[in-house]
This record gives sequence, structure tokens and C-alpha cells, in this order.
Amino acid sequence: MSDARVEQQQRPASGTVLLVLVGLGIAFALLVALLAAAKTHSGPIYGEANMLYAALVLYAGAATLYMGYGVTGIERYVNAASLLTAVGFIANTAAVAHRWSVAGRPPFSNMYEMLLSFVWTLALLTLIAERAYKVKIIGSITMPITVVSVILMQLLPSDVRPLVPALQSTWLQVHVTLAMLSYAACALSFALAMMFLIQDNMKTESFQALTSTGMVAIYASMLLTRFRGGALGVTAYDLEAKSEVMVSRGHALFIRIPDLGWLYLIVLLSALVPLLLYIVGQLKKDESFFDMASKGMFVTLLLQAVGLAIFIARVKNGRYGAPEAEGLYATSLPANPFLLAGIVGGIVAGLLYLLLLWRREGLQKMMPPADVLDNVTYKIICIAFPLLTLMIAAGAYWANQAWGSYWSWDPKETWAAITWIVYAGYLHMRITRGWRGRRAAWFAILGFAVVIFTFFGVTYLLPGLHAYAAG
Amino acid sequence: MGVKTIWTKVYQTLASVRTGIFLIIVVGVISAVGTIILQRPTSEPGDMQRAYAPETLAILDRLGLTDIFHAWWFLLLLCLFCVCLIFVSVDRWPNAWKVYAKPVRFATPAFRVSLPQTVQFQVSDEVEALSLAGRVLGRFGFNAQPVAENNSKSLFAERQRFSVFAVYLVHLSLLCIFAGYIVDGIVGYRGTIMVPEGQALGEITLRDNRGGNVKKVLPFLIRCDGAGEETYADGSPKKWWSKLTLIESGKETASKTIVVNDPFVYKGIRIYQSSMGQSSTPKTLTFLATPTAGGAPEAVEVPLSGKAALADGESLSVLRWVPDYYVQDNEVYKKSDDAENPAVQLGLTNAKGETKKLWILYAQMNSTKGQDAPYEFAIKDAAWAKFTGLEVSHQPGQFGVWTGVILMAFGLLIAFYTQHMRIWATIIEDGKGGKLLWLGGTTNKNRDRFQTKFELISTALQAELGGAGKENAENTLTKA
Repeated sequence: MSDARVEQQQRPASGTVLLVLVGLGIAFALLVALLAAAKTHSGPIYGEANMLYAALVLYAGAATLYMGYGVTGIERYVNAASLLTAVGFIANTAAVAHRWSVAGRPPFSNMYEMLLSFVWTLALLTLIAERAYKVKIIGSITMPITVVSVILMQLLPSDVRPLVPALQSTWLQVHVTLAMLSYAACALSFALAMMFLIQDNMKTESFQALTSTGMVAIYASMLLTRFRGGALGVTAYDLEAKSEVMVSRGHALFIRIPDLGWLYLIVLLSALVPLLLYIVGQLKKDESFFDMASKGMFVTLLLQAVGLAIFIARVKNGRYGAPEAEGLYATSLPANPFLLAGIVGGIVAGLLYLLLLWRREGLQKMMPPADVLDNVTYKIICIAFPLLTLMIAAGAYWANQAWGSYWSWDPKETWAAITWIVYAGYLHMRITRGWRGRRAAWFAILGFAVVIFTFFGVTYLLPGLHAYAAG
Repeated sequence: MGVKTIWTKVYQTLASVRTGIFLIIVVGVISAVGTIILQRPTSEPGDMQRAYAPETLAILDRLGLTDIFHAWWFLLLLCLFCVCLIFVSVDRWPNAWKVYAKPVRFATPAFRVSLPQTVQFQVSDEVEALSLAGRVLGRFGFNAQPVAENNSKSLFAERQRFSVFAVYLVHLSLLCIFAGYIVDGIVGYRGTIMVPEGQALGEITLRDNRGGNVKKVLPFLIRCDGAGEETYADGSPKKWWSKLTLIESGKETASKTIVVNDPFVYKGIRIYQSSMGQSSTPKTLTFLATPTAGGAPEAVEVPLSGKAALADGESLSVLRWVPDYYVQDNEVYKKSDDAENPAVQLGLTNAKGETKKLWILYAQMNSTKGQDAPYEFAIKDAAWAKFTGLEVSHQPGQFGVWTGVILMAFGLLIAFYTQHMRIWATIIEDGKGGKLLWLGGTTNKNRDRFQTKFELISTALQAELGGAGKENAENTLTKA
């Protein structure tokens, strides 16, 4: 322990790495600036688009500095990052407030607005976790998520849409607010549980297996639902009317981008290889397989990045047909938020794994001790669970006001209940059986996996009443 | 095996947390399956047929997998879970009640050893030390009281004793919710009704989960006095409203204008605005009347059940309205309800009371030309009657559900944000002729928070004791 401390003190602050990171951050900000410029900037300087842009630049800076701290361990970076996050949070708040006042209702009615609120909550929770619980490293996980979310928002339609009658309810707004808060708390508990596993000296190859499993799950579910004889089914989008193309009531038209299905099949296989290598390594108890698996992770990550680039290029340019409709149709990224979120999510997870692979020792020195993380995870779930309960209750109350049934077992409701059961199980095990440490951390991770499925999977994979949330 | 032993076995099985967790996992897994297999109540019949082959669908139907959430075995599973919840709570209740009603006020030596947090200080004046301990505990929100069992040489202090009931409150709230749901499953119903403007209807089509046509007669008639739709500039619906009057045994008993999200509640029956449509029967029809003798055409608006006067004292009425017609054997028949190809039979009554019948067959010619009348009529316009789509539900169990939700909110707040903390203080011998002030404590959850608090208390107490007993400078702080 003392040796490690001496080493940390003697090691010169690695300026080059940070320089590279800041450089990347600036390049990133420029890319975002280009993206933002593509959208028309109008309205006052304090308007939503400008404020969101300011928040994005500040969050990107903060994310870079947090990651810089993650890599070099220099405390000063955290203070600066924290300041940037706080200022970005103010800009973010202004963006939320502006939209709220323009729309005359809280911003929760579509994907864009939900992400806006989600980012706001996540930044707030990051600041709280840092100040109140002294978990400084948390920003290096949460801030990149906010940056990716804000970039996704730049791709989504941001015009203030009028609400159809069923959505004009205060209870719905209460429901969605609580959902955002509780899901953000669940995301935080997931991050903390992962950090606990790192601090608890779980083997790096186990993280590789976990990351691979996540990637395989993403691409497998994508292909299971969208693979159409070598092509990839995407939602058709009418660029002029700014709406999805409907085949019949409630059924959107899926057009087929040729060959993209095969490409993603290859990506899926490439993601499967490291997982299989890990399993073989475990069975044969041969460490050399784990090295190969790590190399496999590079390969699949590269392929995934290529896949993303091709996906964006083909979605943005070109019109495609479908057997059930005549003619060719355009599509757009906003019409396919789940495909995009899945691919980007897989890549971010892979990059985080690489960070762990290269900088594990440095990371471990910067994180709070395992027992603190274990405890904070529990406390965050103690916040998430009552919020989850009230969220379900508010949703039920709204459903009762809107269509006369407080519980109709539609998939979204059912999965919200399953999420509730999983977290209730976590708390029972923790309180009555004294489950702590690794078992509890796995439970928290399982809980968040269910949350992700409820949020994305149910709308994307299963048909349901809540399908309008996709638009 | 006697009945008693079987009962004991069943009770023991159902009163275990393990059984409860097993049951809830089974409920969770079955629910997940229910979201993967299309469920009849939440799917269009066409979707079911498209998704599964007929044989598969038949098997799924027979196994009850297409309506899991209303299957008897699923309800049975929920009931079993409720029973488990009750038994678990009953089984543990005496213990909790003992902690609440008859707290252990004096820490016996054996009890002292079992406590997770203890600390002791060497003291000279036991009375002063105890009163100091009482004051320090008071500063941390613990109301310390002397314990009579030990000649008042001991203190007992606690906080948030009610916290031991939190789990019972949460379990009770779950039972309330399940009970409400089960009551609704047995006596509740839900259905739809379409009421055209101006009409009063009282029969709803139940959602019987099979896509069938089971009807239910309501204890009142619903009359729609008006309905309308407002739209946004882009054409999407903004507001649907309908003015409803309820008629109970011939009398108007209640009236309300409902919109989406604001139902009409009457005698436990809730009426919701769910959709809006246009009836295929017009309220009024407007015709263009051109005098056969020559002259300017004139527009005449005729109510569907009424008359309109023409310029020269004749009157016009609509005798028959067919929204979509076909002709067979020289007779006009209705083909469908879509008002796209109408046929209208007009009655032209002259001053003498003689009525002449005229036909407009829209598909052939929008005119009565050649039918030997003083006018030629053509359909110009129609004002359509709206009909309002209402959802009617009777779910008396929902009050149980909402009570349960409120109880659960309180229960969870108490469960997570309060804890029963107990601290005992007593004077013991140190075995070398000296006296020790012993302090020990425990809590029912959130150990580390209590540990921090206990350490703060002992640090404060040490500081106080150090200040009070200067002659005894060697206070020892030892953790057992």
C-alpha cells in the first residue's frame, strides 16, 4: 500500500496523455459544432439550442478532464472538470427551462425531450455523487454518457410538437419525471456497482466477458428483429412531413437497406469471438486465451465503428424499398433511435473496457475503496426504489384517468413491475440476508440490465401501447 | 400424518422468505413470457393471426399462454404469494411487537457481549458519568431514561422505534394492491360504447379478452348532447370532448362535459373519452334546388327528420338515407356504412298535401332530373353527426390499490430513511476495583450509518468526561 503511494507521488504527471485527450476533446467539440451548424440556430442567445450547445461543449470538456483524471490521476483535473460540469449544468437547466416555457409543459413528451431531461438529471446526480459521497471518478463514466446523449439529441427532431389528447395530463408528466429520476439513479447504481467490481479485484477478463455479452446482446437483438434476408430493416421516414411512414394504423413501414444485415451479422460474429475465447479459456484454465480475447475486442470494436459509419452513411443517403409497399422511401437517424443507441452504446462499453485494460492500476488508485462503493450503491438504490414505486403508481393513475384501467399488463407496465421486483429483491437480500459485496453488485447490474430492457427493449423489441414514445 | 402436521408443514413452507422469493421470481418469469408471446387483450386479432401459425395459436390458446394475466393459474399464483406474504408477516409479528412494546431496557452481561457497537470509559463518579452520558445522548436526539431494574445505574435510549413496523406497512400495502386487483378481476368490468350525437344508449361491448361481442347493460342510459374535436395547425388532434347526460329510469340524473384524461364518475362507474368519429348518418342535408321552369338555383337545408320550406309553398323532406347503396331488382339496398356513395329519397309535398317521391342515386347522377317535378334537386353538402367513443369501467377495487400505493410510499420512506437505534449505558466493575461507564448500541438496519453515529457519540462523551474528571486523566477508550 505504502509502496503504491510512493510510486504515485514520484511518477511525473503525464502531460502528454492529457494533451492528446484535450486535443481529442477539441476535435470532438468541432465535430459537434459542425453537427449543430447543420441545424438552424435561431432565437435569442439564451435560447434552448444555444444553451444546449454551450452545455455540450462544457460537458465535453468536463468529460475529457474526468477521463484525464482517470488516466493520469491528477486531482487538479477533477476540480476543473467539476467546475465545467457545474457551469454546463446551469446551461442545461436554462435549455430545459426555455423549452418548458416555449412548450408550456415539462419537456418529457418525445425522445429528444426525454434525453434532455435525462442528461440534466445525470449531470445533477454526478455533482451530488462527487460532492456528497466523494466519488470523484464517477464523472469519467457519466459525463461521456451525457456527451453521447447530447450528440444523439442533435440528430433527433427538436421542434416542439403538440400533444395528442391522451398525453395532456399532469400525471403523465409526474410519471415521466419520476421515471427519469429513478432510471438515472439506477444508471448511477450500475456505474457504482461496476466500480465496486473493479475495486473488488474482479479479473479484467471477467469485465471483458461482461462487455462482450452486452455487445452480443445488442447485435443479436438487432438482427433477431431487423434481419430481412441479408438486409437491415429500418423505419421509413418522411423527411418533408417529419413523420414516420405508416403502412396501417400503428404499424410503421420498415424499409430494407441491402447488405447491411450481412455486415451486422459479421459484426455479431466478431463480438461473439472474444466471448467464446473467454469461455474456452475458463474451461481449459488457460490464460493465453484471455490475451487473444482482448485482441478480439480490438477487432470487434473496429468493426463496430466501421458498422456505425456505414449505418449513418447509408441511412442519410439513399432511398430504399420494401416488399409491402411500392416505391422507394427515405429514412433518417431520428426514426431509428434504438438502432443508433444500441450501436453507440456497444462502442462506448468497448472503449470503457479498453480504458480498464490499459489503466486498471491507475483507476483503482483513484476510486474510493470497495466498501464505500458497496455502500453508496445501496444508498443510491434506496433512492431509486421509492422513485420507481411512485413512478409506477403515477403511471397507473394516469392510465386510469386516460383509458379507464390502472393496470392492463401491457409490456411496458409488466417490465416496469419486473424491474421493481428485481430491486425489491436486491433490498430484501441486502437488508434481511445481509448480502453485500459481489453478490449485491451483480444484483444491481442485473437490475440496470432490466431497466435498459424496459426503456429500450420493450419499445424496440416488443409491440406495446407505449409505442408512441419512439417518435 | 395428521391434519395438524400437514398444516404445520404448509404453514412453515409458506411462512418462509425463501418461498416468497421463489414465488415472486416465478411471477416475474411468467410475466416476462407474457410480454414475449402476444396477448389477446392487448393485440389486434389480425396481429395474432399474422404472428403465429394456426396450429401454434391453437396450442398457445389451449395452454392459456395467450392470456396469461387473466388465467386462473396466474391469479392463483398471485393469491399464493399474498398468502405467503401474510404468513411471513404473521410469523415474524410477535418478535417485532416484543421489540416495540417490551423493549430490552437493561443490558445483561450476556446481551452486552452480543452487541455490535460497544465502548467503555474509566470513571470515578458513576452518578455524574451516567447523567453526562444521558446529556450527550440527548444532544444526538436520543431520549435517555434511567432503568429501574438496575437501581437506576443504567440508561436506555432509543430513536425511531416505529421503524420496526415499516416492513409490515410495505407488506400490508402490497396486500391492499393485490386485494384491489383481485376484487376488480371478479366484480369489475370494462367495455366500450359508441354514442351518436343526440342519442341515448346503455349497452356496452365488454372487453372479454377474446375479441368477442359480449354485451352488458348499464344501469343508466348515456345520452350524447354534443361532441367535438379540436385540432392543431398540423391536423393532429388537440382535444376531444363530449357533453354527456345520464338518464336513470327515465330521469336525467347527471351531466358533465368530459375530455380525455377527465372522466365522468357516477356511482362507481367511470366513463372515459376514448375516441371520436363521424356518424354515417348526416344531421342535415343541403340540396341545390333548380326550378324546372327556369330560374336561379337555391340552396335548401333539410334536417334528416324534418322539413324545409321551398320558395313557392312546397316543402321538402328526406324519406330515406342510404350511405352506400346498390340497386337490385329496381330496389335500393344498403351496401355499407361508408357515406361515399349515398342514395337519398326525397319527399316533395305541395300545398295540397300531395307528396311526390324523388330519388338521387349519387353514383348514377347527382340530380333528380327527369323525375317530373317542379324542381331538380342535387346534393350539395351534408352536416354529419359526430359520435363519441366512450370507455366505461367499473373497478371498485381501485380504492384498495390507491390506498396500497399511499401506504407503500409511507412504508418505503420509513423503511429506508428511518432506523430503530438503541443505546444502553451502564456502570460496570473493571475487575481492578475501578468503575467503567459502558456504552453499547445496535440498530435494525443501515449498520454503518449507526456506527458513525455511535462513534460520534463516544467521542463527544470522551471529551465531556475528560473535561469533568480532571483528577482522572487516564480515560481509556477501548472498543470491545
